[in-house]
Amino acid sequence: MSDPVFHLSNVMLSLKGNAGPVDILRGISFDVQPGETIALTGPSGSGKSSLLMVMGGLEEATGGTVTALGQNLTDMNEDALARFRLGRMGIVFQSFHLIPTMTALENVATPLELAGVHDAFEQAEAALKTVGLGHRTGHYPSQMSGGEQQRVALARACAPRPAILLADEPTGNLDSVNGAAIMDLLFDLRDQYGATLVLVTHDPALAVRCDRSVELADGQVA
Amino acid sequence: MSFRLATRFAQREMRGGLRGFRLLLACLALGVAAIAAVGSVRSAIEAGLTREGAALLGGDAELDFTYRFASAEERAWMEERAAKVSEIVEFRSMAVVGEDRALTQIKGVDDAYPLVGNMVLDPAIPLDQALATVNGVPGAVMERALSDRLGLSPGDSFTLGTKSFRLSALILREPDSAASGFALGPRTLLRLDALEGSGLLAPGTLYNSKYRLDLPPDTDLAQLETAAETDFENAGMRWTDARNGAPGVAQFVRRLSAFLVLVGLSGLAVGGVGVSAAVRAYLHGKTEVIATLRALGANRATIFQTYFIQIGTLSLLGIAIGLALGAIVPLLLSPLIEARLPVPATFAIYPAPLIEAAIYGILTALAFTLWPLARSENVRAATLFRDAWSGARRLPAPHYLIAITLLAIALVSIAGWFNGSWRLTLWTLGGIAGALLILALAAALIRFIARRASHVARGYPRLRWALAAISGTGEGAGAVVLSLGLGLSVLAAVGQIDGNLRQAISGNLPDVAPSYFFVDIQKDQMPGYTERLENDPAVSRIDSAPMLRGVITQINGRPAAETAGDHWVLRGDRGVTYAAAPDADTKITAGEWWPEDYTGPPLISFAAEEAEEMNLSLGDTMTVNILGRDITGTVSSFREVDFSTAGIGFILAMNPAALQGAPHTFISTVYAEDRAEAAILRDLASAYPNITAIRVRDAIDRVSSVLASLAAATSYGALATLLTGFIVLIGAAAAGAEARTFEAAILKTLGAPRRQIALSFMLRAALLGLFAGTVALFAGALGGWAVSHYVMETDFTLIWSSALMIIAGGIVATVLAGLGFALKSLNARPAQVLRSRE
Repeated sequence: MSDPVFHLSNVMLSLKGNAGPVDILRGISFDVQPGETIALTGPSGSGKSSLLMVMGGLEEATGGTVTALGQNLTDMNEDALARFRLGRMGIVFQSFHLIPTMTALENVATPLELAGVHDAFEQAEAALKTVGLGHRTGHYPSQMSGGEQQRVALARACAPRPAILLADEPTGNLDSVNGAAIMDLLFDLRDQYGATLVLVTHDPALAVRCDRSVELADGQVA
Repeated sequence: MSFRLATRFAQREMRGGLRGFRLLLACLALGVAAIAAVGSVRSAIEAGLTREGAALLGGDAELDFTYRFASAEERAWMEERAAKVSEIVEFRSMAVVGEDRALTQIKGVDDAYPLVGNMVLDPAIPLDQALATVNGVPGAVMERALSDRLGLSPGDSFTLGTKSFRLSALILREPDSAASGFALGPRTLLRLDALEGSGLLAPGTLYNSKYRLDLPPDTDLAQLETAAETDFENAGMRWTDARNGAPGVAQFVRRLSAFLVLVGLSGLAVGGVGVSAAVRAYLHGKTEVIATLRALGANRATIFQTYFIQIGTLSLLGIAIGLALGAIVPLLLSPLIEARLPVPATFAIYPAPLIEAAIYGILTALAFTLWPLARSENVRAATLFRDAWSGARRLPAPHYLIAITLLAIALVSIAGWFNGSWRLTLWTLGGIAGALLILALAAALIRFIARRASHVARGYPRLRWALAAISGTGEGAGAVVLSLGLGLSVLAAVGQIDGNLRQAISGNLPDVAPSYFFVDIQKDQMPGYTERLENDPAVSRIDSAPMLRGVITQINGRPAAETAGDHWVLRGDRGVTYAAAPDADTKITAGEWWPEDYTGPPLISFAAEEAEEMNLSLGDTMTVNILGRDITGTVSSFREVDFSTAGIGFILAMNPAALQGAPHTFISTVYAEDRAEAAILRDLASAYPNITAIRVRDAIDRVSSVLASLAAATSYGALATLLTGFIVLIGAAAAGAEARTFEAAILKTLGAPRRQIALSFMLRAALLGLFAGTVALFAGALGGWAVSHYVMETDFTLIWSSALMIIAGGIVATVLAGLGFALKSLNARPAQVLRSRE
């Protein structure tokens, strides 16, 4: 059996709140195998998004270890984490998080440029065509609908062909038609690139499309 | 009803404190403080001049005659009215020690001097003792600048004309020095009767006699002035009294402070940009509140009033802070300021400059807040459901635009009224408005260029991100270019004008100017003088002309001012010459020169440019008072007179028969090689001790140092503008911090390390600073060119040292302003940033 893509061992996350520290994650352990699709489910406030952020190295675990592609994320500083994500991880957010001052094409090209890809813009254009936005490359986020913005975000996450795709409720801000289209696209792209997908959702219909679900409750695996 | 409701809403909204309004408060406070401080210092100097008027003048009143002493009747007039009369004489001469010579401004005084105030000497001996004749050698005192130049110490001897004097002490403080105005040489003071036998003050020598009057306490100065002007009409007398003891200084202070207030207004305009940005940002943050109020039934007027009351209250607070600073800071710094001022000042809190600054502050605050406030009306209830703000009309309703225009007109009118010079006001404020327009257009152009260039910068991610950010509205390219640009524009204009003027004076002028001016050459000395120079191969040119001095009193039988207004030619006395034929270089522009043997009624040839400014025509008659005698001539020709080469140039020339009989001397310019200058001076000064030599280079240095002080004062004003600009810049950086933090979080998510993001942030700040500096340099150089070309009438070349400083200043300021916020943005954890946006 090959090494897991993710190995989480007793992961803890405690954040400072106004009324003192709040325990968000309380000892989470599980593995994710290469090519697997995992749904993180659970009620609001259960810690799904926080866990995804810890797995993506966007949030620093306050305890335990997170190993991704054989490297211990908990030992890395912020810059090392950024370099690790480069080309290996694509992240899709509920609120799209496109850079408002950049066009769709420039948004998608940014991670490719960071990776030093010489034909970053050609590849970005191809990625936009894949998500059906070949005709809107020069548009700014403010000139696009929510569904279109999320498709740009998907193209941006997938363009460097990452080994890992992390998606945090990517349909949360979209209507059902657009939401379904985005999910189809997400699974298509995953299939196309063979990436490992970790998807945060509280939609049971989406969870069943994944290989397995990890349900969280109160910061722990239920 | 609506207003009371709005007041209640405003009170509730203001419970949140001053958060978000620090920028507004700082901008208004600083702009108002700068203007109030300039006005307070001006009032302090004016009060000082009034308080010390008699001391500055050396008496309660002064009667000044050129070329002559008062007649017995005139002395009797004075003695009849004054308790005491003091006679002094002032003229230029050369102080000589061995082979060393230096130009000095001699003041011969009588026993009564000084009528008011005290002379302070080093060593501290009484003036009587210092000027006493000991062993047949009269005493004299001089300024340290002169004694140092000649290597003299108290006890040493020196020569004036053909007579020896003993330096008995150095002048530490001369009570009436400010009234003497600009002097080319340092002062030597001695007894008037000691000048006898010195060969100085020969007929025709240029000197002024002054009679200071110690008047009874109840004297009505205005009435006495009128009486003097009636009784001494056409006697060439000039009146000054203690109400304005140093008119030259008072006028200079008024003009400089008027200009500095206008420079201060540019600071307030920059502050206005910041205020506008602060109000816009605040109202943008209140969009949801406004939309909710609209949804609950609030009409447009209520919304406008609610925020007008809030912004108005805070603006008044900012103005009050500015007024307090502008009143108190000069008071606290008064010992320092007084020590550096050459004139007395009485520091106190003066209401007038504070009222002036408050009016400017209120008008600026209104003009700059009305626009964003008016747009708050456009927020609709629908904004609660979708982002309708961006769809709001960009221009406010017409009645607001009319109000803003009226406010701008009021600001210009009040500024003109306060400083008394419409020309200066319109030029300066027009320049500021022009600079703002250029900067606003440049900001739009910069965003356009950045958008275009970001395509070209593909493959250079840091540069591309920087350009993409500049092209967006969020980064505030407009705010940066406007706020920083205006301060830098003013500084660039000052730098360019000062540099060009100094270049014209000390750079180009010595190449075309003569080496020496020799004045007070007697007619019988002219042959020997000319022979010495004509036989010197190092002398390339000698120009000589007879010189008298006269005051133009009437034009066409009416007081001259009625025709020519307050033209500089009419202020005080002017050099007048005569000639049978024009020089070979003289270019007659209209009319004809008189025949060489002409002996008819006096004819006048007048400088063409000045004649046009004074509305003179050929055939006009002009009365000139020379040595107390009125000579009326007819203007028969106009000619070009070029003052720019510092050669001999007379505004007014007459036919020889008109003036030849009057006692007069000659003036001469000598163009010689540098190496020959010392020998020429030595030979001529030895042969003709009464002649005064003015070295042109020394005069140029003296003028340059005065210009340097003026440029420094203006630069301080411009720095206040720049400081305001920097605060606005920090405000813009703070406003953009959230956007940058978000951007940094996304870029980290996509794999960018902090160093790369930081470099991109610095690059965008540096690029914006570079753009702002370059545009400011363009706007400032344009202003500098306009002033050089139209006002100073000198050539204009770009002064690169100043230009590069402006651009570097722009870069440093933007990078510094952005640095603190950039570090904060970089250190924020991406997960927290992104979660807050979910």
